[in-house]
Amino acid sequence: MALIETKDIWRTYDMGHEKVHALRGVSIVIEKGEYVAIMGPSGSGKSTLMNLIGCLDTPSKGEYYLNSKAVNTLDDNELANIRNREIGFVFQTFNLLPRATSLHNVELPLIYNGTSTQERIVKAKEALAKVDLADRITHKPNELSGGERQRVAIARALVNNPSLILADEPTGNLDSKTSEEIMKLFDRLHSQGNTIITVTHEQSVASHAHRIISLFDGAVASDKRIN
Amino acid sequence: MIGFSIFGIAVNAIRANKLRSSLTLLGIVFGMVSIMTIISALEGMTNSIKAEIGRLGPSTFMVAKMMITTSREDYFKKIKRKSIDLKSADLITNECNLCEKVSPRTFAQARIKYGSEYIRDGRIMAGTYNLIDIIDIEVAQGRFHSMEDDLHRSQVVLIGDGVKEKLFSGIDPIGKTLRVGSKKYTIIGIAKKLGPMFGQERDNFVVMPLSTYGAHFGQTRRGLNIVIKALSVEKLEDAMDEVRLLLRSQRGVAYDEEDDFDMMTADIFLELLNSITRVFRIALIGVSSISIVVGGIVVMNVMMVAVSERTREIGIRKAIGAKRRHILLQFLFESLILTSSGGLVGMVIGHLLAKFLVGMIDMNISPSALAIIAGLSISMGTGLVFGIYPALKAAKLDPIKALSFE
Repeated sequence: MALIETKDIWRTYDMGHEKVHALRGVSIVIEKGEYVAIMGPSGSGKSTLMNLIGCLDTPSKGEYYLNSKAVNTLDDNELANIRNREIGFVFQTFNLLPRATSLHNVELPLIYNGTSTQERIVKAKEALAKVDLADRITHKPNELSGGERQRVAIARALVNNPSLILADEPTGNLDSKTSEEIMKLFDRLHSQGNTIITVTHEQSVASHAHRIISLFDGAVASDKRIN
Repeated sequence: MIGFSIFGIAVNAIRANKLRSSLTLLGIVFGMVSIMTIISALEGMTNSIKAEIGRLGPSTFMVAKMMITTSREDYFKKIKRKSIDLKSADLITNECNLCEKVSPRTFAQARIKYGSEYIRDGRIMAGTYNLIDIIDIEVAQGRFHSMEDDLHRSQVVLIGDGVKEKLFSGIDPIGKTLRVGSKKYTIIGIAKKLGPMFGQERDNFVVMPLSTYGAHFGQTRRGLNIVIKALSVEKLEDAMDEVRLLLRSQRGVAYDEEDDFDMMTADIFLELLNSITRVFRIALIGVSSISIVVGGIVVMNVMMVAVSERTREIGIRKAIGAKRRHILLQFLFESLILTSSGGLVGMVIGHLLAKFLVGMIDMNISPSALAIIAGLSISMGTGLVFGIYPALKAAKLDPIKALSFE
């Protein structure tokens, strides 16, 4: 069975006097090991779709299966569990804890699944080594460059060995040279077998993916394989 | 395990905001100081009084025209009573079967003088020879007056430790003659030191035979006060009943009227004392509790600010898998750490303050387990009550909204 399968999912926001449909019946299937870019202009529903895939939100209508689990039936705690174990988020604004060291930022997901302190440190160091930041473990975010910060965030996403890395405009706050480095890192992670979904409106970012899903007005406009 | 890690997160958050945390703490500290000072001081005073009354002995009781009045009306009613006199004391001595020892006594004040030194307001206690076996004064040196001294109205006195210290430094007082008022008395004994209580010197006294006192000073208007020791603790109640009946018939009290005299044991006195001070204590503790509530509100306010300041952090934590209860715990720990450390500091300061205050009236207090447990649970309770709302607010945040919070 596919890693991700959505069946006619809708997401409707009730704005009081009118209902806004951010997603209107999206059905997609993503297999394990794929590298997918979700594209679309602002307001097309790509952020909403990412929140749903990332289990930060649940659909108003329709079914969503992640690893054959029906996410739309889960409660808050079970969603938190899935986010913790199955999904690694990478955000445009990095979203690191400003006062914490790289090591602490990376071990954070492990705290919430009860991993012991020693194991946390070992795993966090491993993850930081994977993004070539083994020498930056005691640095705080404000002592790191933008690219390094994003690599810490990627290490945090990797630390639990998730089924899926979900990146929302991962290079939106980076210059083009650093962006290229980060995209190369994603390529490398993909070649190591990770499933990656990036949400972006930049063609250069999307071109690293092997499949591009375009959204328009809350529905899938096109779904093409490239490379 | 997760709890420990979350506790660590809470500690770090507090340490990251040292100034704010310590200011928040202050509210609780002040509240705790006022509560602990009052509780400790009250407890210290009650204990001292208890110890003092306890010295009367468990089988001893007192009879007097009036001992304690609870109101003005009570006072004016009791002041009109007939005095207790030597006849009453004789009657009890002769007729009461359950009374082991009976001593009538009375008090007065006079100048006590030896050579050029004197004590202006010395206390005179006068009683019969067996008074020494009933009350808490002990002879340290020499002797108490005897039955013969009572019969012959001997001009002898036992002096308190304070009199010895003030008038006889470096001299052995036994056998010396001092003046009480205008009369001369030979010193036959020295009492053991009692020590001061409530800032009141209690060792500046002389004890003389009641017969001698009657001849020199006359009977006082207030009459006598009879101290009686029952045969045993078990027979105390019966002995009191016996004395009551004897006195009622002697004084002609009709069967449907209440006693026209007061009887008091250490227990009755303690109970009375407790009931008088209870309302007072509750009111004091109530008033000082207000400051704890204010401290709690400060904590709540600071925690509300912390939650909205750290909305994004909460969003990040939730996105990477923190459950509601993890966030709830994190913020609850923060307010609990703040209030309980504030509580601890407050308890220590409060105790020291109480010690200082109570020390000024010559009493000693030690922290009671009750006060410590009460103090800790009050401060933890404050943290819980005022911390739960901000923590719930944090736990309920929607991760998507929290992440996009600027």
